Amino acid sequence: MASVSAARMRTMAAILRDPNPVHWDRRAVAELGLGDRTINQGPLGLSYMINMLHAWSGPASVRRVFMQFPKVVLDGDRVTARGRVTALREANGERLADCDIWLHRGEDDVPLRGTATVALPS
Amino acid sequence: MNSKSNPKSLPDESQIRALAGHRFPGGTYTIAHWENFLLTQCTGSEPLPGDLAHPVALFHVPILGANTSIAEMFALGQAETDFAVGIESYDWQIFKPLREDVRYRVEGTITEADRRQTKGRTFDRIQFKFDLHEPEDALAATTIITWHYRRTST
Repeated sequence: MASVSAARMRTMAAILRDPNPVHWDRRAVAELGLGDRTINQGPLGLSYMINMLHAWSGPASVRRVFMQFPKVVLDGDRVTARGRVTALREANGERLADCDIWLHRGEDDVPLRGTATVALPS
Repeated sequence: MNSKSNPKSLPDESQIRALAGHRFPGGTYTIAHWENFLLTQCTGSEPLPGDLAHPVALFHVPILGANTSIAEMFALGQAETDFAVGIESYDWQIFKPLREDVRYRVEGTITEADRRQTKGRTFDRIQFKFDLHEPEDALAATTIITWHYRRTST
């Protein structure tokens, strides 16, 4: 994601019925002393990693994602979804890949990290 | 919840623990095409093929389908302010790809609720679990939301 978009956060907030202004009101963030950029919704950050997995293994391939959020992502951030296959196995007639996944920002900042399981194309 | 409201007093720990086992009313949710289109666009992706819904729907569909809301989940945990709730983790298991125009039946419960302290800070950890069933009752997805309700009051 070349630049995390405040406009997309606002659309997302409306769809989620999320009343938390940190996602759509820069003044509310500033009043907290957290700068003047809105805070990306956790599910949106997670979705960047789902998109990476879709690009790799197909649009209906994700079987599980587990995500932790040690740091916030802000509007204007440039982030890159990355992953590493940690195991290959078979279950329920599918070939599965277990992966470590994370969101990378700047030199060595990792605001989101977790694991995923995807079904590999047959 | 008003972000500018005065912080509430620290809720009794027994009130927090008593949340475990709470069941939301439950209900149904159908992902509309327009909703999936906009949601997918928010993620930076092109629309998925056919009637596939983007898995990011697994945040709001279970919540709204269970007949609750983010605001109610904040209120149940007696969040001090909108900013006092942080994410520990989201865990989404997908057994059947989500699709537009399918009427999912949703059940939701609070599975864990307790008070914790780390590095001198107090927070209440509350875990929500939601199950989405297809109309034929097959389990389509299970999601677990774990939030921390940070306490500054004493």
